[in-house]
Amino acid sequence: MGVNMYRNNDLLKEAHAVRSAIIDALFKAGGGHYGGAMSVTDILLALYRGIIVPAQSAASRDRVILSKGHAAIALYAVLKHVGILHNIDLGRYGTFNGGLEGHPDMTVTAGVDFSTGSLGQGVAAGLGMAFACGPQSHIWVIVGDGECQEGQIWEAALIASRYSVSNLHVIIDNNGAQEVGWSYSPVVEQRPLVDIEAKWQSFGWVTATVDGHDYAALLESYHWAQSSRSPSLIVAKTTKGKGLLSAERDPAKFHCVTLTAEEHQMLMGELNAAEIRA
Amino acid sequence: MQQKLGHECGQYLAEAALTNSSIWVLDGDLADSDGAEEFAKLHPARFISSGIAEQAMVSIAAGMASCGCRPWAFSFASFLCYRAYDQIRVGVSQTKLPVTLVGAYAGGCGGRNGKTHLALNDLSIMTTLPNIHVWAPADRDDVRFAVESILDESAPAYMRLPRLPQQIVPGEPGRIRWIGAPSEIAIVAYGASTHWAVDAQALLRSKGIDIGILHFLKVWPISSADVKNFLGDVKYAFVVEDHYTIGGLVDLLRHAGFKGQLEGIGWLSTWGGQSGSDADLTAFAKLRPSDLASRILSFYQQTGADQRPTVCVSQT
Repeated sequence: MGVNMYRNNDLLKEAHAVRSAIIDALFKAGGGHYGGAMSVTDILLALYRGIIVPAQSAASRDRVILSKGHAAIALYAVLKHVGILHNIDLGRYGTFNGGLEGHPDMTVTAGVDFSTGSLGQGVAAGLGMAFACGPQSHIWVIVGDGECQEGQIWEAALIASRYSVSNLHVIIDNNGAQEVGWSYSPVVEQRPLVDIEAKWQSFGWVTATVDGHDYAALLESYHWAQSSRSPSLIVAKTTKGKGLLSAERDPAKFHCVTLTAEEHQMLMGELNAAEIRA
Repeated sequence: MQQKLGHECGQYLAEAALTNSSIWVLDGDLADSDGAEEFAKLHPARFISSGIAEQAMVSIAAGMASCGCRPWAFSFASFLCYRAYDQIRVGVSQTKLPVTLVGAYAGGCGGRNGKTHLALNDLSIMTTLPNIHVWAPADRDDVRFAVESILDESAPAYMRLPRLPQQIVPGEPGRIRWIGAPSEIAIVAYGASTHWAVDAQALLRSKGIDIGILHFLKVWPISSADVKNFLGDVKYAFVVEDHYTIGGLVDLLRHAGFKGQLEGIGWLSTWGGQSGSDADLTAFAKLRPSDLASRILSFYQQTGADQRPTVCVSQT
């Protein structure tokens, strides 16, 4: 299954359904991480539609770690959309015994390859998978740009390049914002992470930057990563709150928020309008 | 000549790995000190050095375990338990993945290294994480028993090992066992403190007191059945700890339901650790066998307790 299987328009329609399910689930849950879930949706959908083969045997299958675990609802929505998650009500996200913990939990939810939530640990866990599974499996780890402030990310990056672990691929959801950042210190750099490719290259990784909402570009970058001889980084330039005009305009508010019914309806309207524009 | 228990562990793992291809060893750049090098010599393809990066090492091990491997991560106990605690909590404890953490140089006797390298409350923080089995071998036979048991099970595990080579403790290894005759007044110990207890036991025998030692190779979990079977007839236990008494085995026994009296003897909770020989450090903390024997002797004198052996405890 590859890039030719899907035209951009196909996945855009699917993405609209996924985003709609996310917004609906977060509203039912009483709130959540709208901004990061919206920014990572296309990265996940492209991965699960273009790369991951659900029925592969455990020994050889690819694995995905959503290291930025606060966007769990996006992972759940995509897993359900592509048929890996069955009989799950996304509306029970974050509820007691609902089967969908607030952050991805491999002991609770089928299809979750590794538990995350405490930021910075996914790259190392993915590296362990890459060692254990060998080159027949590709390991995909999605991290946030803010998450790259965690020191453990760089520990793992160093080890991966030292061992030339070419089946480890990190995708940065580079949405350019984090919960608070340095908004109280306006004179300092405001972006969560700067000179991203140069940093990772200096740690021995090969890198590429793509539009994180362009399915053809994303899939092309995934295939590029699969053929790499070094650990590879894809910087996916994304928009926090993608598809929701209000969230795109006010990413700080929509990092994690509880909405009124009226605001929820407004977001749904914005999402539908965005689809029409697309 | 005895070697460090970490090296014994590395050797047993290397032997086991000859027929068990799922075993991997990771190390945080201390393989010559913590014993992981014994594995690396024989199985370099299944040996990963994280370099000086314990957090990544633990998460790498967790990722390996999620794919069906049995990774063993070696470092000093202090750097494993403290530096990588969140990685242990999230990647090992919460996931229940069968990662084994081997913490060398545990306890209060760190030689020249001093306070930064000591693990004085590792039992406390590791046993209060769910799902982690905690082992404290006293000798090489204990290490072999623990390695085999851990490989037979499929659970997260932490093995704490003393810094220096250790003599053989009398008797056959077991998860929990008596050294000497079981007695109503008893010493409870684990790891290096079992050696202190064995020497104290000999001193007390020379004074006509025969006291049994209950040696915990597996420190946690302790079930109510364990308490009943091994401690059911114990009325007073001196729990000798190579650890702070707060959060140590004395507290674990209370938590497991032991109803008798407990007296914890361990490192002072106000002491952060320092450099020194084992002899100097145990003298400072009154943990020498002679100190333990004196304390127990004074207990007998104060209470008028029967000094004869009281063989009364069933074992399983």
